[in-house]
Amino acid sequence: MNISQNTPGKVALLMGNEAIARGALEAGVKVCAAYPGNPSSEIIGTLAGVAEELGLHVEWSINEKVALEVAAAASLSGLRGLCAMKQNGLNVASDFLLNLNLTGCRGGLVVVVADDPGGISSSNEEDSRLFAKLGDLPLLEPANFREAKEMTREAFNLSERLNLPVLIRSVTRVSHARGNVTFDELPQSSPKPGFDLSRPSLAFPPMPNHKALHEKFERAKKIFEESPFNFYRGPEKPDLMVITSGSGYMYSLEAVSNLKVEERVGILKLGTTWPLPEEFVLRHLRRSENFLFIEEVDPFLENNVKELFAQNCSDLGVKRFSGKASHTVPDVGELNPEIVTSALQTLLRVDYMPRPEEYRRRADEAIAEQVPPRAHSFCAGCPHRATYWAVKTALALDARDGFVLGDIGCYSLGMGPSGFFQMKTLHAMGSGTGLACGFGQLERFGLEQPVVAVCGDSTFYHAAMPALANAYYNGANFLLLLLDNSATAMTGFQPHPGTGSTATGGMAPIIDLKAICEVLGARVEVVDPFDIEEAVETILRLIRMERGVHPVRNSSETLNHAEEQGGIISNGVKVLILRRECALVSGKHQRKLFRIEVDQGRCLGEACGCNRLCTRIFKCPGLVWDQSTGKARIDEAICNGCGVCAGICPATAIRKEAVSGGDVVS
Amino acid sequence: MNRGLKGLEERVLSQGLCTACGACLSLCPYLRSWQGRVVKLHDCGLEEGRCFVYCPRTEVDLDGICQKEFGQKYEKVEMGPVKNILMARARDPIWRKKAQSGGVVSALIDFALRKKALDAAILTPREADFLPEGRIVRDREDILTCAGSSYVSGPTLEALHKGPWQGEEKIGVVGLPCQAQALTRMRASSLERKTPVDRVGLVIGLFCTWALEYEQFHAFLNKRLGQSHMIKLEITPPPERLLKIHTNGSLHMIPIDEIRPFIRKGCQVCPDMTAELSDISAGTVEGIEGWNTMIIRSDRGEMLFKKAEAEGIVESKPMPEDHLGHLGEASLLKKRKAIEAIQKRGELLQK
Repeated sequence: MNISQNTPGKVALLMGNEAIARGALEAGVKVCAAYPGNPSSEIIGTLAGVAEELGLHVEWSINEKVALEVAAAASLSGLRGLCAMKQNGLNVASDFLLNLNLTGCRGGLVVVVADDPGGISSSNEEDSRLFAKLGDLPLLEPANFREAKEMTREAFNLSERLNLPVLIRSVTRVSHARGNVTFDELPQSSPKPGFDLSRPSLAFPPMPNHKALHEKFERAKKIFEESPFNFYRGPEKPDLMVITSGSGYMYSLEAVSNLKVEERVGILKLGTTWPLPEEFVLRHLRRSENFLFIEEVDPFLENNVKELFAQNCSDLGVKRFSGKASHTVPDVGELNPEIVTSALQTLLRVDYMPRPEEYRRRADEAIAEQVPPRAHSFCAGCPHRATYWAVKTALALDARDGFVLGDIGCYSLGMGPSGFFQMKTLHAMGSGTGLACGFGQLERFGLEQPVVAVCGDSTFYHAAMPALANAYYNGANFLLLLLDNSATAMTGFQPHPGTGSTATGGMAPIIDLKAICEVLGARVEVVDPFDIEEAVETILRLIRMERGVHPVRNSSETLNHAEEQGGIISNGVKVLILRRECALVSGKHQRKLFRIEVDQGRCLGEACGCNRLCTRIFKCPGLVWDQSTGKARIDEAICNGCGVCAGICPATAIRKEAVSGGDVVS
Repeated sequence: MNRGLKGLEERVLSQGLCTACGACLSLCPYLRSWQGRVVKLHDCGLEEGRCFVYCPRTEVDLDGICQKEFGQKYEKVEMGPVKNILMARARDPIWRKKAQSGGVVSALIDFALRKKALDAAILTPREADFLPEGRIVRDREDILTCAGSSYVSGPTLEALHKGPWQGEEKIGVVGLPCQAQALTRMRASSLERKTPVDRVGLVIGLFCTWALEYEQFHAFLNKRLGQSHMIKLEITPPPERLLKIHTNGSLHMIPIDEIRPFIRKGCQVCPDMTAELSDISAGTVEGIEGWNTMIIRSDRGEMLFKKAEAEGIVESKPMPEDHLGHLGEASLLKKRKAIEAIQKRGELLQK
């Protein structure tokens, strides 16, 4: 969808994230920055697509903190800035955000955080709204695509009225759902940026700044009392009132309609959830005795409303609150209409059969028959599968129980069957390398296991560079496997500092991973993970290097002495770059490298000597086990032609034939 | 009971009983050797497999095997099937210089290859890093790279499965007692096989009291000798019992007790000192330098040895009576120790 048209009144089908982008354009945003992360990635992706046409600066920043700083700079110079991220991103950006709240800002600054309830594509499940409370910052929660656009536009105005960054909290089903959105006008002029030397942006001294923040906070409360994003629909005196925000509103509407309880249940929908519009909420609390909170992830509204109630209970009398605290609603995972319907059923004691028993049975049968079970898996031809195969082989041969510390990226699948269960830790971006800095110090206490970290190329720039510098500085001993697939693959192939292009498709200087690692003091080698044997040998050699005396570079005498003793010396940290482009990226500009075929005569199938290594252990989805013939075969539609399986087949039954006619698809 | 990789892992690999003979290697992608160790990479999932059946550390029907190989049941004599015991040495000094003791094994393999009794032989190279592996040799130059003992065991038999073979060769194997036993197990196995074991026409077994763990032993040697290049290793007979290491320029002597910690656990339960299931067995002669003790066991072993003697490749003389006695005692001692070790392990397992 082209969101750059200045066609007021036009109705367009937009994804929630596109609607947020359109809202920012209607607000006259000039600078947009983000680090990609689902479910937020399309916001900046969409803006990048219109950046040139509309004269915006849009960038994929190296991490969320820098992205927020970039957007804040626009604000501090009088322009409007937008920063987008996922919930984990706000943790990274929070250090800056919780100082920026004290200094305030100038031009409208909006921080969109798209939460991932249930952690469907995240390492964690987190409610980013708590940061609004932590930082006394105004918070808006759109309930649908239309509101996503309207709220974003209004958030810029609000930010300028308060001189504060404004948070917008979306969730997966708001960001990724599509619906009709009506365009408003795009502004044609914008102020000239300049840093006002009379208004320095200094968080210190904190106390007076904190006081000023609280005053802004009180003003925000007053503004929210009148907000059109807060409303009540339902009977004058409902038996039960649902208090909800964000996607919970749509689920609540559906549940009330399913149960046909419109006469009994009212819905108080809040769009400005921090600070609470207290008078507005108190007015509605008087309507009923019973309340149910419907909101994604944490009981944020629930606790805040209860706090407000506690302050005013002498006026309000006895009320019954249900929600996460009463276990009426699950305290983890994503909500859906069924969950909300069931909560209402419990509280209202009404019968409701979402679907007849017979239908349910037949549907389950149909699913079992027709939907093949599919595990989380690396794509066919993914270099990470080859990497983990090499890692597993090397660590097994080494036989000292070496272990792999990981973090979040496509390669997190290394924790499951697709990565042969090799990755043993998963926390924040870059945490594998950070943990390795610690594990890599434990030899002196008797740790004998080799320490290995994995990290993707984009993650390396984002969060692992400081950890690597730390490793060299403090002499930690470990091997970092840098899985360089030349893309931020997990979030949709966004470019990063190693790819040579920018968010808007322009050329960019390439920051060479190998050179950086070398400058940071590591011994660095590069292999192609598709050359599994070389990868295995290199990993083995690197994890078995004897530890030198730190720092070796200043002590040539020590180094020589150690070499005389027969050891190869490393001061501790080693980096192996496993370089091979993401199969989905190369699929866009290259033909398959090889045509793969399974020689049915040679395939050993389940016999001693193989027992389905390729389909049982290696598990590339391009390989299929044919029950009827007892042999493996290639699924041509899925196979990406990487040829790695030909190297692991013990019977040389898998044949690869180089595809002629050049690699590049014009 | 699982008689596949799972069984092998439970009963051999995880018990430290593997001798790294190589019989289970290059049969499948699940087992691999590195630095003289056999490592399981993935679970194979089969109930029965060649790895388990070929392994010299799993149960075996010795009577059945001997009936098939030597036409008689396994006699509970001191050193397996015996046709003749004598002492011999190679006439050509090239073998005596590079090889161990009398150089008879190298000379016999060379003779068999030249006479086309064998097309290739699997030996264990004794080069720079002394890392044991199987090597397919076809001529004298190759044999010389393999002459001499390293006192470590390694996956020599892997070469049989790995090849490359042209398909018709008659193959000779020189190996340790465990390897000779594994070969008879391969031949006796009824499992479907695609190995060239049926083309193995000669097995020369080497006497062995124990073998060392490659990795630990060589880490120890590196520490003791630095990076000096080792040329030859030998262990002197009792009461001296020294490991003599010839390097370029010097001779190092290490008391045997210092290297005992590197003896493979799997060797402690082995009752076979003289490679009882080979065609010909060879060892040193205690107290007489430059000669081999030879035990001729099978018809084809006897035929080869007689031919080689007739053509002046080797010379032999009868073994002195007291040496024969010592040989029997030593062989029985190993059996006794193995039985004790097995019983001890049994007690440990029960506890």
